[in-house]
Amino acid sequence: MTSAAPALSAHELTKVIGRRTIVDRVSFDLFPGEVFGFLGPNGAGKTTTIRMLVGLIRPTEGAVTICGHDIRHQFEEAMRCVGCIVETPDLYRFMTGRENLEHFARMLGVKSSETDRVADRVGMLHRLDQRVGTYSLGMRQRLGIAQALLGRPRVMILDEPANGLDPAGIREMRELIRGLAADGMSIFVSSHLLAEIELMCDRVAIIHHGQILRAGTVRNLIASQRAMEFHVGDVDRAGSVFTQRGVAFEKDHDRLFAAIDEADAAPLIAELVRNDVEVFSARPRLQTLEEMFLDATGGESVD
Amino acid sequence: MLNLIHNETLKLLRRRRFAVVIGILVAILAIVSYGQYRQLKNQVNRNWRADTQQRIAHFENNLRRANTNASWARSLRAEINRLQFYLDHDIEPNKPTAPMFVRGFANVAGFLLLPLLVSVLGSDIVSAEHAEGTDKLLMTRPVRRWKILTSKLATLWIFSTLTLFSGGVLAFVISSPFLPARGWAAPTFSGFATTGTFRPELVRQLPLWKDALIAYGLEWYALLTVASIALLLSVVFRSSAGAIGTMLASLIAGTILTRLSPDWTAAKYLFVSALPLADYYTGEPPPYDGMTMAFCITLLGVWAIAAIIAAYAIFTRKDVFG
Repeated sequence: MTSAAPALSAHELTKVIGRRTIVDRVSFDLFPGEVFGFLGPNGAGKTTTIRMLVGLIRPTEGAVTICGHDIRHQFEEAMRCVGCIVETPDLYRFMTGRENLEHFARMLGVKSSETDRVADRVGMLHRLDQRVGTYSLGMRQRLGIAQALLGRPRVMILDEPANGLDPAGIREMRELIRGLAADGMSIFVSSHLLAEIELMCDRVAIIHHGQILRAGTVRNLIASQRAMEFHVGDVDRAGSVFTQRGVAFEKDHDRLFAAIDEADAAPLIAELVRNDVEVFSARPRLQTLEEMFLDATGGESVD
Repeated sequence: MLNLIHNETLKLLRRRRFAVVIGILVAILAIVSYGQYRQLKNQVNRNWRADTQQRIAHFENNLRRANTNASWARSLRAEINRLQFYLDHDIEPNKPTAPMFVRGFANVAGFLLLPLLVSVLGSDIVSAEHAEGTDKLLMTRPVRRWKILTSKLATLWIFSTLTLFSGGVLAFVISSPFLPARGWAAPTFSGFATTGTFRPELVRQLPLWKDALIAYGLEWYALLTVASIALLLSVVFRSSAGAIGTMLASLIAGTILTRLSPDWTAAKYLFVSALPLADYYTGEPPPYDGMTMAFCITLLGVWAIAAIIAAYAIFTRKDVFG
């Protein structure tokens, strides 16, 4: 999959404002047909990075290449390959959905019949002649994607596409994104929610304090981060059993969290039972993103 | 580029800015027309023909005197011609007519109302995109930033022109029911006074329609300058209120400044000082020495070009944060 030329490539992107380094030498490649997750807490530099990808912010250092075009020197050619939603899907509220799509179709120089195609793709043809001001956030999000699809770009950049959507909306969005990737489009998705990224993305990069901490396929990254959660009757006695067996753990009310694989849990449960500790449940648990950061940053606190 | 101007025009109309401008023009013109109509009614009982004939006779007596100097004689003859024209065409001099009302509108509205309306149009042409968050979409399309700003400037100039044109047309349409509609050919006198004293040799006699065209042409030029400065303010400020407020403050401050501190002559380099071009053309002395028509036109041009250069420099380079 990764043998093809990248559709989008960020090289050593850095943004310094005053004395603060907001984004620090961020590099990654986005390949055709993949969904790439960009994961990080709010304030980690996700949005600044995205704004640099699409030319809204000029990088202090580094370069962005889209479909082989450097965005600084060949802005028009590069942007012709990209559709994006940066932060919120803001469109002109005082115009109808159709007028908005026609507005951006004119900027691209594509036929206005394209508006029907893209509106149909996101399933909102029926609301197209209403003013955007009357749309729900979910509808605006879809219209934003419809707009991004104008001109058949090869790269789609979506900033927190699930933000503010209800569970059904999030699911629809996910299906839409997977569908676009199946059509061969490269999709860059940012999020601060691990679960979302896990369900949607092929590869992921984790950004924190403006630096990429880890990057890799979702499966590898998440597998390395599994822990077991034990719901037990006597937490203290269970704790001493864990200590005896040399298993590191954390306590939280009536639960213990141990950084072990699911396969290693069975002998531990047997040991607990032998020591008269009631075990109500034992299940693998995804680490929260925050814990993952704690882990990755060597215990440095996340703020 | 036509596509971009199409977009900007659509947005400007949809934001109802132009509707507001037309609404304000209609309201103000209706009130002023009615005032003129009241004035007309009060004058109706006077025998204006006898008055006018008497004034002509008086001027002719003055002309026959031996010691009348040449320039004075010229202005007397001009005045006699003007009064005679009114008599011949059965028009009462100084009587408000719709054409005179149209002509007067350029002067009266030129230094505050029209610049204000243009800044209402222009101040949010960029800042509203930022306030509504649509700038990040507009600027990530495959169109260079300078082209986007050019389309906005062009649209603003088009609508400034339309504002002035609508002002003139509305002044005629609204005042016609109240005031006599004839009189486009009436002679007018205008002279650009470079000093505070009246200089008759500078007086020009033109038919009213020609005089009005010149006044509107000058006003148009002044408005394009205002529009260019409004564009800069709209680029600099993140909110429309900041942009409109700054423009309003500078228009009013400039007016107050020229009245209150005429000694501070450096104020003649402010664009506000040169803004009432139509007034200066008519013969109103500019507030500071050395403000010839050429000076005013150059000054406004320099302001406009500087504002446009600054607007482009900022707009094409700025980082767009949330």
